[in-house]
Amino acid sequence: MAPARFFSMPVSRRTLLAAPLALSLPAAAQPAVAPLTVASFPDLDRAAKAAQAAWDRAHPEAPLRLVSRNYADHHNAMSAVLATGSGQPDVMALDLRFIGKFASGGGLEDLLGAPYDAGPLLGALPRFAVTQGRSPQGALIAMPADIGPGTLLYRLDLLERAGLREADLTGSWPGYIEAGRQLQRATGAALLTDAAELRDILLRVGLADGEGIYFGRGGEVLVGNERFQRAFELGLAVRRAGLDLKAPSWGNEWGAAFRQGRVATQMMGCWLAGHLKNWLAPAQAGLWRSAPLPGGLVASYGGSFYAIPKHAPNKAAAWAFIRQMVFDRATQLQGLRVLDAFPALLAAHDDPVMDEPIAYLGGQRARQLWRDIAHRVPATPVHKHDALATAIVRSAFEDVVSQGRPIPEALAEARALVIRRTRR
Amino acid sequence: MNRLTPYAFVAPFFILFAVFGLFPLLFSLWLSFHQWEPSEGLAALRWVGLENYAMGLTDPWFIQGLGNTVWLALAAGLPQHLVALPMAFFIHRRVHQGRDLLVGAYFVPYITSSVAIALIFMTLYSKDYGLINVALAELTRLPLVGAWLPLDAAHLPDWLGDSAWTKPAVAFVVFWRYLGWNLVLYLTAMQTLDDEIFQAARLDGAPPWRQFWSIALPQLRPMIFFAVTLTLIGSLQLFEEPFILVDTEKGVARSVMTAAIFMYQTAFNDGDFGTASALSWALFALIAALAWLNARLFGKGGGHA
Amino acid sequence: MRSRPPVATWAVLALGALLVLAPIWFTFVFATHQRNSIFNVPPPLGFGDAAGLNFELLLAALPFWRNLAISLYVATLTTVLNLVLCSAAGYAFALLQFRGRDKLFTVVLGTMMVPSFLNMIPSFMVMQWLGWLDQPRALYVPAGCGALGVFLMRQAALQAVPRELLAAARMDGAGEWRTFWSVVLPLLRPALGTLALITFIASWNNFMAPLVVMRSVENYTLPLALRAMQSPNNTEWGALMLGSALALLPLLIVYLFSARKLVAGIAAGAVK
Repeated sequence: MAPARFFSMPVSRRTLLAAPLALSLPAAAQPAVAPLTVASFPDLDRAAKAAQAAWDRAHPEAPLRLVSRNYADHHNAMSAVLATGSGQPDVMALDLRFIGKFASGGGLEDLLGAPYDAGPLLGALPRFAVTQGRSPQGALIAMPADIGPGTLLYRLDLLERAGLREADLTGSWPGYIEAGRQLQRATGAALLTDAAELRDILLRVGLADGEGIYFGRGGEVLVGNERFQRAFELGLAVRRAGLDLKAPSWGNEWGAAFRQGRVATQMMGCWLAGHLKNWLAPAQAGLWRSAPLPGGLVASYGGSFYAIPKHAPNKAAAWAFIRQMVFDRATQLQGLRVLDAFPALLAAHDDPVMDEPIAYLGGQRARQLWRDIAHRVPATPVHKHDALATAIVRSAFEDVVSQGRPIPEALAEARALVIRRTRR
Repeated sequence: MNRLTPYAFVAPFFILFAVFGLFPLLFSLWLSFHQWEPSEGLAALRWVGLENYAMGLTDPWFIQGLGNTVWLALAAGLPQHLVALPMAFFIHRRVHQGRDLLVGAYFVPYITSSVAIALIFMTLYSKDYGLINVALAELTRLPLVGAWLPLDAAHLPDWLGDSAWTKPAVAFVVFWRYLGWNLVLYLTAMQTLDDEIFQAARLDGAPPWRQFWSIALPQLRPMIFFAVTLTLIGSLQLFEEPFILVDTEKGVARSVMTAAIFMYQTAFNDGDFGTASALSWALFALIAALAWLNARLFGKGGGHA
Repeated sequence: MRSRPPVATWAVLALGALLVLAPIWFTFVFATHQRNSIFNVPPPLGFGDAAGLNFELLLAALPFWRNLAISLYVATLTTVLNLVLCSAAGYAFALLQFRGRDKLFTVVLGTMMVPSFLNMIPSFMVMQWLGWLDQPRALYVPAGCGALGVFLMRQAALQAVPRELLAAARMDGAGEWRTFWSVVLPLLRPALGTLALITFIASWNNFMAPLVVMRSVENYTLPLALRAMQSPNNTEWGALMLGSALALLPLLIVYLFSARKLVAGIAAGAVK
């Protein structure tokens, strides 16, 4: 039927761009053109788009074909193609949140094996990021492309008005909260936007090496132990003292809080500074600074990975693409420029751009700080039930802060629920 | 009449169903007796018998989800019909100029995309600056009305952030979305009613509400049955509105987590497709039972059957 | 005999209409603002000047016109198929006698009661096996005769078609199909208008089916393409609102068109 054929004809601008490239090859050596399909999601897809020109030039036989879906849709669709073993892209972008689930599935190529042999290359990447891309069996199923060194962004002017210094904020966790009380008395601004975020980051304090956040080395459920108790207690204390705005991240109130100067600090990946500058609080340029997380905690927020599914049609090109995105210095730095994504590649950390003063942060050479943080983040293994445990613990905390449920009770119930749901 | 012709008339539905609908149904039934995480591939199906049903149905969150679903079904479903029916009657009898525009206005929410609805209502429901709270704050300042409203201008509800208010907030959005849909359905049905009976009733001196209650309603039974059945089926499967309004990543989301949302998260968040399938079949059994009940109450009758 | 409508009730209805429309109003207002202004508190109430800018952003993010065309194509075909197939089936279930009629109808109803988002993976498997991935026919064929449509037409037939008329047509020697086409279908016109409307809308707004079946942004339907614009923390909301507002327009047109048909159906005396 004529209309159907019309719609299956590719007329995208990308294809139009690739066509003259293909035509410009010498007539004798016309290799078959097999497009490289990369499945990704916004905002990460911008990194691939930015790298496209260089890729198409270097690999005219495998022009880039980017398939973007919304974050949740993308990961669901990837589940589906992994489930059926067909319709798989060559390269699959994955967010840290979903790595645990896909890692244990066995549907992604082990990049340590032949013909990839990524082993010798791994020294070029931070250890924690590589650990995040490993399956429980030790296979390396995804390569990290960007990382999010955790930082405490704070309003210097509010701090000074309260007569405090950065060390008061970052010295210790109880010190951070006490500084929050003083900040509020002096300026009326809240310490942070959501007590739940404090609770979340505190779960990383005191992790033994090789221990996951919710599950131990042997898969045993850690939910409810002292680490959780302390995190819940401090989170509740912050809420009780009125030091948070009860505004979950990325909501309207959250954005408004920044714009109106009602919050003094925010703990998040360093890429938040870019968001503040671009649209959250552009008028506050020069007022914010970046500091390490309190109490000497070193952590990373989020991270993007690339993987190759087992039934990808064009694995050789897929691996070449991943090598470019992850190990090519220029591409990694391009990611920093285009989407504020902190490069995973250690070699990129030597670039002069890291020493540049960041105007929004009052000229602070913050990237040096972030680079230092990135080098010290401990390796925390991911577990396939991390998402499930996160949801249960988050819900338990909500019960504690808004319904006044006693912490031991809420944690005991959360623990029982996690055990129940992960019994297999 | 050819004895096979009726079968020819209904065949297309069953053929399409057999090709496109049956396999997914049987697959999910099969899946409900297995443990499966899709990214592990089809070979990873592991038989567990009735365990998914047993564990899923007794899961405290599923039970809470079911409770939320029933609450939302009643809070959003009842007003939809209780308001749409008299409204359709009134519009049918009394509104002739501009009827299309009026009904069209009420119908627009039904056709709006969920992306737009999510953004707009999150803005409207914002605690400090949403227009709803701004309007309420103004109302509490009015001398007479303010004293009567049980609200305090300094502590207006955090509609989407406080678990005490999220359910009514979501219920209102569902009501808002489907009122026009039911209005159109009932208006369509009203238009097949016989005008003369109403003329006769008016000449007899019957007031409008009487005409509505004793004449219009009984004749509308088939359409009421249809519309209520749809609401029943739709509300027990309610997913979209709570999902888009209250971010499931936030702790307060459990207060509007419906059974369908719980199933979705069991599948896509916990990676447990087997239990999710088992629960969807359990939900099906519940819906079927209630629909059967509904059929007993409203199913018979209609103008000419 | 039509008396003047009571002003008070009319006023309440009109006010209700305004309240119902307010969120839509904001969709169109936000479509003309940039992201920063949208997230201001309080949000903008009137139109801004960023419509052109948002439109450029929209076109840069998606093959907008192509997605729109695909949505129109799929929705139109789905609607036409449903109009014919559902009315035939609904008529048969309502007014024809045949063995197993009520049991079969129960099956039809039953198919509406199973939550469908778990169908994602098996649907993908079916489309793969048929070789229909990435093609519009994978969207309109499975949706060609919906259970909801059959249910609606059955109720409409029960309500609008008098038995005597059927008996008369049969005595006249008309065949089943003839009876259906020339006698029954005209009587069902209001319901057909409603069916066309709801089928078009459901097909248009459905994003789950194209998500499974379509593999590239070029082949997405419009709602799915708009979703693909959403990033967890960096969406161009102004452009997205403009896309949503534009996506709303065809549906409004379809509504107005079918509303005309409803009115025409009555005026022509098609319903007694």
